[in-house]
Amino acid sequence: MARRDLIAALVLLGFTAGFGLLTLRLPDRGLPNTPGPAFFPGLITLALGILTIALLVRSLRGIAVEPAVLPGAVATRGWIAIGAFVVYLIVMPALGFLFASVPFFAVLTWVYGERRLAVVTLTSIAVPVALLVIFRSGFQILLPSGIGW
Amino acid sequence: MGDFLMAGFSQATAPSSLIATAIGSILGIVVGMIPGMTISTGIIIVLPLTFVLDPGISIALLLGLYVGGMLGGSFAAIMLNIPGTPSAAATAVDGHPLVERGEAGRALGVAVIASFIGGLFSCLCLLLIAPRLADVALGFRAPDLFSLVLLGLTVICSFAAKSWIKGLLAAAIGLAIVTVGQDPVMGTARFTFGSTDLMSGVNFLTALIGLFAIPQLIGNLASTETGTRVLRTTARFGRVLPKLSDLRRMRVPVAIGSVVGTFLGVLPGAGGPIAAFLSYDYAQKATKNPPEPFGSGAIEGIAAPESANNAVTGGALVPMMTLGIPGDPVTAILVGALLVHGLAPGPLLFIERPDFAYGVIVSFFWANIFNLLIALAGLRLLIKLIALPRTILMPAIAILCVVGAYSLRNSVFDIYVMLFFGVLGLAMRWLDMPVVPLLLALVLGGQLEEHMRVALTGSQGDYSVFFTSPFSAVFLSLAAISVVWSVISSRRTAGGAP
Repeated sequence: MARRDLIAALVLLGFTAGFGLLTLRLPDRGLPNTPGPAFFPGLITLALGILTIALLVRSLRGIAVEPAVLPGAVATRGWIAIGAFVVYLIVMPALGFLFASVPFFAVLTWVYGERRLAVVTLTSIAVPVALLVIFRSGFQILLPSGIGW
Repeated sequence: MGDFLMAGFSQATAPSSLIATAIGSILGIVVGMIPGMTISTGIIIVLPLTFVLDPGISIALLLGLYVGGMLGGSFAAIMLNIPGTPSAAATAVDGHPLVERGEAGRALGVAVIASFIGGLFSCLCLLLIAPRLADVALGFRAPDLFSLVLLGLTVICSFAAKSWIKGLLAAAIGLAIVTVGQDPVMGTARFTFGSTDLMSGVNFLTALIGLFAIPQLIGNLASTETGTRVLRTTARFGRVLPKLSDLRRMRVPVAIGSVVGTFLGVLPGAGGPIAAFLSYDYAQKATKNPPEPFGSGAIEGIAAPESANNAVTGGALVPMMTLGIPGDPVTAILVGALLVHGLAPGPLLFIERPDFAYGVIVSFFWANIFNLLIALAGLRLLIKLIALPRTILMPAIAILCVVGAYSLRNSVFDIYVMLFFGVLGLAMRWLDMPVVPLLLALVLGGQLEEHMRVALTGSQGDYSVFFTSPFSAVFLSLAAISVVWSVISSRRTAGGAP
């Protein structure tokens, strides 16, 4: 049995069922004998269903070759990076681009293997400030301001 | 055509456009040659700028990056034996042995000249083919357009996926995501859950940033390779400009690569890697008794794939410009970038904005010229940039992704959408599911539904309209062949795994 494909097939079966249900609830606003707003999503539900069942059958037959997994230490750093990303996005509207980006940059620099404190500190301040100046002053692109810049 | 070409020339040769092309070319070379970075990442970095720039300048910047990225990928392949882009893998076979012999300059010089000729040839083909193909495409009606878009999707799925089930599933997921928002014909809200942010649907560029950049940032954690190795070899760089004898040896392989690359570039999904390896194979067969055997530093083995992978760029612009069908992720991004400015690539572009359409072709020409000049003049300096520290580069790209997603509509919601697609991209990578079909479904899905519903409305729900039109029938047949072909080849290569 191909474990990952089985998990994917089960998740997709759930998604297909939900998508199909929501499609059935769409209003039928169309001219007679012409497809309405639910027509195309209906076709996609059908395609998703057929392909998901094919993936499920294949995974149960154990045909698939499982792709390589990231080494443990790398996977841990990957989770830290994703976690930092989530926290960054949550706090940015409140803190603003600059105040949120500095600690985020510092965490990522560390995750990518930089251990010199001076380099981490310097770059995590310099790069977000530079980006802020370039985008806000140079290209007039507004960035979330929050409590700061 | 002459007047439009002149108008396009004026637009693309304005100082601002030329500067943008040159900057794009430099960025492309740098991004392409840093292992772990792709042309798509480079485009994501400059994407926020394109929202505020004039469309002509934006496209000049992006084309410079596209063309430069192809060449930059080869620099890494030659110097480090790590292809910066998949298209450069074939170049490493003969390029790196020359570096080990202390002839790095010779290998890079041949790559630069071959890329230039390949790019220029494809530019000429683009100029000659695109307007004519656009004329033909103007005659397409809704059923033909639906079948054409469907063909584009199936061809891409069959090439992009190791497993046809996963390729088609990725495309189906993309099509499901496209249905979020108002439907394209009646304007009915679908799957919005009462959110006003979702009324206009999921922005393609936001999804793209998440799908490509976040998995790449995480994937790069696994790579410990740095560019420091290259510094040892730059000490013995040697002559960069190819000698006359080398230029003579390049003639046939470059001709092969240019033709193969342009032809395969036109086909959606075929792309640079196939063109490069196919040209390498043809060049090997066409070269009798080379001074250096193939695989150990043959000039012909660098020239053929290099001209091919740069010729692919011009070829890929043909279906993008004339039919609105992107052939690879980069041209898909170009489509998205043009849509932001209200310019829809397709046959009407040549009618409604011929100055812009021809301007794109001229910008592509300039991109190749700048590529040559910048690469030859700054080769020694550019090579040193391979050693840029990843520890700073990757966090900076992460922040640029956020800026890119936010600046599209000044919306924090779009950043969350980007993160969602980033997680989706990671999950797909974990499942070995290709993201390219999903990406292209996001680009093409809206058109697919619109053309289908317009066709069926016109025929009062009669499905035979898709088979009675000759164009549509041909496109549908090709789509069916493409799916069957991918099923057969998947069974052959994976020992029966569908």
